[in-house]
Amino acid sequence: MNSYPPELLAQLAPVMFVGGLEPPQPPGQGKDPFAVLSWRLRESLLHQRKVAIWQPERARKFQVVIADKDVRFPPRKLVPPDDPQYQNSHSPLSPLTPTSPLYPDGLIAPIWIRKHTTLIPSVLVVFMRIYEYPQAERAPLETEEIDQQRETEERRKDNELCAEIAQRKRIAAERGVKLTVVLLASRKMLDEAVLDVRLTYIRRNSGLDPRAALFVLSPVSQSEVGEFVHSLQEALWEPALEYYTNHSKRVRRKRNRHSQAVSAYSLPPLRGEVRPLRTEGWSVRYEYKLACFAEFRGEDEVALRHYQDAYASLLVMFGSTAILPPRTKRWAEAKVLADCINMKICKLYLYNNEHSLALSTHNNHMRKFADFSRGWGIGEETFEFWSWLARQHRAFAELLEQGTRSTLTIPTHFSTSPPAVAAAAAVAQTLDSSQRTILEMEAMRMLGLNPTQALQHPGFYYYMAAKCTERRRERFLSALDAEAKEEPTTTSPGFTNEKKVDHLALVLETGSQLYTRSYELFKAFSPSNTQGHSRLTLWIAYCIAQTYYESGKFDMAVRFFERIAKTYRREKWGSLLQPLLTAWYSCAQQMGDMELSVRLLFEMLGHGIRTQQDDADSTQEDLSAVLKSSVPSITEEPFVIDSSDLEPILVSSTVFWRNDVIVGEAVAFQLSLTARPTVSMASLPFVSLSIHFSSDLPPVTIRHTPAVYEGTPSLQKIDLGYIASPTSEAESEDKEVEGSLRWRPDGRIVFSGSVSSDVPTIIKITKLILTLREGSWQIQVPLFPSATHAGPTYPKWLNKIEPWTFVPIRREHYSTVTVRHRPHKVEVNISHHAPALIGEEFPICVDVKNFDDRDMDIVVDALLQPTEIDEAENFIRIGDDRSTSLVKGASLGVIAPGASTSITLHLASAGAAYDRVIDISVQSRVVAVDDVVSGLTPPGSPTAPSLADRDEALRTLVIPAVEPIRVEQQVLYNRSLRKQPGLADLATYSHEFWDDGDVGEAIVTTSISCTAPSGIVVEAVKVVRENNNQAHVIDSSTEQSEEDFLSEWLSGDEFCDRCRIGLAIGEDYIQGEDIAGPGMYELSWRRILPDGTYGPTATSRFPLPPLRPPVDALVALLHAPPSGKLHVPFLLRLDIRNRHPSRAANIVVHLETDTTDSFVVAGLRSGRIPILLPGAEESLVWKLIPVECGFVKVPHIRVLDRRRDPQDLAAIAGDSRGGEIVRIVDVRWDGRSGAEDGVQSDVVGRRRSVEEQTAQPLILVLP
Amino acid sequence: MPPPALRLNAVAFVSPHNHPILIRTFAQPRADELKYHYIAHTSLDVVEERIAAANAAKSTECYLSLLYTMEDVAVYGYVTPLRVKIIIALALTDTVVRDADVITIFRALHTAYRLSVANPFLKANTPLEGVNDHTAMLNAGSAKWKGFRRRVDEVGRALAGVTTSSSSSTQFH
Repeated sequence: MNSYPPELLAQLAPVMFVGGLEPPQPPGQGKDPFAVLSWRLRESLLHQRKVAIWQPERARKFQVVIADKDVRFPPRKLVPPDDPQYQNSHSPLSPLTPTSPLYPDGLIAPIWIRKHTTLIPSVLVVFMRIYEYPQAERAPLETEEIDQQRETEERRKDNELCAEIAQRKRIAAERGVKLTVVLLASRKMLDEAVLDVRLTYIRRNSGLDPRAALFVLSPVSQSEVGEFVHSLQEALWEPALEYYTNHSKRVRRKRNRHSQAVSAYSLPPLRGEVRPLRTEGWSVRYEYKLACFAEFRGEDEVALRHYQDAYASLLVMFGSTAILPPRTKRWAEAKVLADCINMKICKLYLYNNEHSLALSTHNNHMRKFADFSRGWGIGEETFEFWSWLARQHRAFAELLEQGTRSTLTIPTHFSTSPPAVAAAAAVAQTLDSSQRTILEMEAMRMLGLNPTQALQHPGFYYYMAAKCTERRRERFLSALDAEAKEEPTTTSPGFTNEKKVDHLALVLETGSQLYTRSYELFKAFSPSNTQGHSRLTLWIAYCIAQTYYESGKFDMAVRFFERIAKTYRREKWGSLLQPLLTAWYSCAQQMGDMELSVRLLFEMLGHGIRTQQDDADSTQEDLSAVLKSSVPSITEEPFVIDSSDLEPILVSSTVFWRNDVIVGEAVAFQLSLTARPTVSMASLPFVSLSIHFSSDLPPVTIRHTPAVYEGTPSLQKIDLGYIASPTSEAESEDKEVEGSLRWRPDGRIVFSGSVSSDVPTIIKITKLILTLREGSWQIQVPLFPSATHAGPTYPKWLNKIEPWTFVPIRREHYSTVTVRHRPHKVEVNISHHAPALIGEEFPICVDVKNFDDRDMDIVVDALLQPTEIDEAENFIRIGDDRSTSLVKGASLGVIAPGASTSITLHLASAGAAYDRVIDISVQSRVVAVDDVVSGLTPPGSPTAPSLADRDEALRTLVIPAVEPIRVEQQVLYNRSLRKQPGLADLATYSHEFWDDGDVGEAIVTTSISCTAPSGIVVEAVKVVRENNNQAHVIDSSTEQSEEDFLSEWLSGDEFCDRCRIGLAIGEDYIQGEDIAGPGMYELSWRRILPDGTYGPTATSRFPLPPLRPPVDALVALLHAPPSGKLHVPFLLRLDIRNRHPSRAANIVVHLETDTTDSFVVAGLRSGRIPILLPGAEESLVWKLIPVECGFVKVPHIRVLDRRRDPQDLAAIAGDSRGGEIVRIVDVRWDGRSGAEDGVQSDVVGRRRSVEEQTAQPLILVLP
Repeated sequence: MPPPALRLNAVAFVSPHNHPILIRTFAQPRADELKYHYIAHTSLDVVEERIAAANAAKSTECYLSLLYTMEDVAVYGYVTPLRVKIIIALALTDTVVRDADVITIFRALHTAYRLSVANPFLKANTPLEGVNDHTAMLNAGSAKWKGFRRRVDEVGRALAGVTTSSSSSTQFH
């Protein structure tokens, strides 16, 4: 924008002239307070606003110009107002005034703006001192006199002041400028009452406006000065606007008059070539002025409209060469004006954040004037055009840059949430085109973006400017060429003009400046997450480098190239690297940097770039030429081309025939080096290639020997032979082979050989060094086969050379070979006799045999897999080492070749029957000879364990475990036959008293069967008593005849045992609860092994079952002898027990004799028993004499409980005999199973009692 | 009024690792080919920025909208779900470019790419090195395989066809 008059671009603001602030330099310490005040005011006012192009703020700030107190304004017209010519004369700047620079047909000159910004203000502020009477010597007596004296003095001074103000007022009023006076007074003065009077006097007498025309200020601090300045501007804003409005009105009047009376306007007659300003010109003038005045007022909208009108009128003028003949002074001025108006319009749009309007205005401007330019003969083929276009772009970029520094934000054209719009677009797409109305079409347009109207950050426009400058340079060069060729060219006036200056240098200078500016902006606007250089900046950096290159600053260009190339190399954009390397190489050539040239040529070879497009040999010829014509800077050391991040000049690929070999075994490999197809390097004098291997294999060097026959074959094979690690120090010299090291384009040399290693390792080719010697140059080109990418296809193995046959190697790891130890020949046998029995320690025999020819140190680990089935304590044991999971490091010692050894692992399983899983690992380690001699490898050397020759055999065992013995138990409960103790029997209080009255005894029948498939031998069976206070073991049948059990039990054998348990239920027993079994069976047994011997003793334990005795309520127990003798009397006793916990019983007993009875009965036939209290018992005895032999039934006895259960209504209704039948139990057959569940067992019991009631006990009567 | 025709100047396919897969130029002066390489490369900056923004907003939008305009082209970006970036350069005209149209072009190009990469012979001789191996897609763009080029050129031709037919029709009427 510097190329445009600043007046035409700057943001306009109301102008304020300030007079009377005299001292222009800052006062020192202790100076007059008014001088300090003046200085502060001056500073504060001047800092209100700075002239700038971008100033969108609408704060009420004036453009302050410090003026002389007696400032004079330029005359409105050249003629004084009293002249009769005044009416017809014009402003000194008018095109109608012959002395004006615009005479006769100028449009608007910057001087006009300057007039309004620097020569005429909208308000004039004058600072003046009000007179203050010195008050030092004031005696009390002289008061009157002095006061009078003072008053007259003050009045005199005030009058002087008034005259001065009135003078200024008149001058200001001439131009419609408002005058404001600020009177400076001391602080003391402010407090005096007389001040108001004086002020009123002064204002009246000087003719100042009543409002905002007179201020008083005393010396105050800086911040208060600021406040004053602020309020001063606030007060004067309105008058200032009014001033500019008046101007606008005047101009509008003139415009209207002019447009109405175009024809009537008296044009001065044409004199020679001088032509007056046309109507359009006047229109431009007036619109421009209106726009400016609106801008002064801060009315952006109005200003914008007027600027647009002015611009439109200008376009009309440019449209006709008659109105504005090209390449004249006026034409040039008008062009500048148009450019500036365009800038203003853009700026005003941008103030309002209407980015696309601004951009489209700018684009339109460029397009229109490009069209005009063609008509003017300065089209795209001329450098003037590009110069102008560059200027436009640059100005716009500068505008944006200024804007972004303050309020302008560049819009982003990407929103992450466009689904609504996209969906709408998709819907609209599916509609039939006929269905779409115009409106919808319009809506569709909203779904897109006009790319030309998408505002971007200023860097882009700087870039455009730079590009245009480049074009300008090209055009200028071609113009120079044309001139040199004496061709008739349309030598424009600008051309001869431009030739005078160092055009090229200038253009390059600006070009690089623009690029640099653009680069900086791109950097500034690049997203924060891209560290370092982003790609856009790299591009611009490349442009800068090009410019430097063209301007001959090769060192600068090289520095740029270096940095740019890094990214391009990394991202593998060869297409971008190609021109860069070419340019870089030219730089290096120009600079005479031979080493750089050589390095670049090698990189170009790697990329297959030719220095001359049509010659495949060009690159190597260049390289040869460089090498032959120069000497390296350092001749002692070889010149190494560090190519770790470059494309290598030869594509290398290593293939090992196998990827897994054992120690000492040779494996074949092939290394193929292929040249690039596009460039030739056949004549590069390579002298040697050395191949470096990993591990301690010696490098192999191939020395070049010229081929015996002419030319370079496209495929060669060089045999490297067998390469092995040196066996002793003396032998470690490098291996050398000979072969031809020449590649033609796309040629390939295959190096084949074989390698082996004595230690386990990974072999690969780590580095290739290609050495080239030419004159005093010795160049080393390292190649890294592993670092380069593996290539897109499978590697190929050269099978045959005549004709070539390749075998693709379809393996994953082809470029390395792993050398391992020979696997150990150790045989592991595991024997056991499944299934294991629960409870025993099950032996598992691990047998290890060494078939190898070396001594082996064997170690066994065993792991019992944990299960989630139970928490039982399964464990394994080797020797004394016992664990529930892992037994580690059980050593079998060193086993000599051919020997074998074994170890027994014991598995003890407890709990449920399921499969146990055991992992057994047998590790073998070769006992090295030197191990024995020099001891073990030093601990702490990390490589020691990995190098040890180890091997491992793994076995997994699944061992089923089964129960050896199955036990079934059955419980019956007998009622106690003992007499119930009385309620207050003292014996019941005794500690040893066993109250079995309620439940009596339980008889447990246990049947033990053998389930072990192998059979077991039982050594002992016994009942272990664990009596408690509710149950105790009385006796058991095993205790009587133990010997019967102790024998070999085979699978299916079964034995039975009965055990009597006395039960006592105290009051704390809850019915339905289990009583723990008072002991357990313990069986000691051994497994019978297949060979007939017995295994180790194992013990199984089976607890007695938990007891749950049934409970009675009211029961009658009938004691009858099993047999009787004919005619011998015997007693029949009936015990009636009330076991009900709370209810008493009212019992009636009937003995129902019958004529068929086989007995003669003596005793109670029918009667009531005294009330039975809970827990009480009553016995009835009959004497019976059998009269018949055989099994005879005792007479029927019926026991009724008269007491009714109040809740058992059914029983009341159903039983006519008026009572509940009490169950009679024949004690000889007594035996109940356990109470299963409270209520239910009751019901079951009752039903059974009814059955029993009908069944009469039988007695065998013998004769 | 028909929507204004778009003129496709260049297409670039870029791998997720920012290696070029294929760059085709349709602009008439062939000398400009390098320019489009540069445009494709520099666009990656904006593309990455947009992708980051989209990721931050948890958006799955593929279309990255207008990336930038430079000289006489407007550059648009698109990223496939597998992070292959497609960049097109449209000739800059002073008309509204509907996003829907650009998306259609991108879809066509994406389809062309998908069909081409699906060719099993691309991987015939390559070692299988896992899903993140992009050799197949890089292969697809190499000079050896013509299918991809052909399909992309078809898209370009189709667009050019739209342009010529619409312009010829205006001539007749």
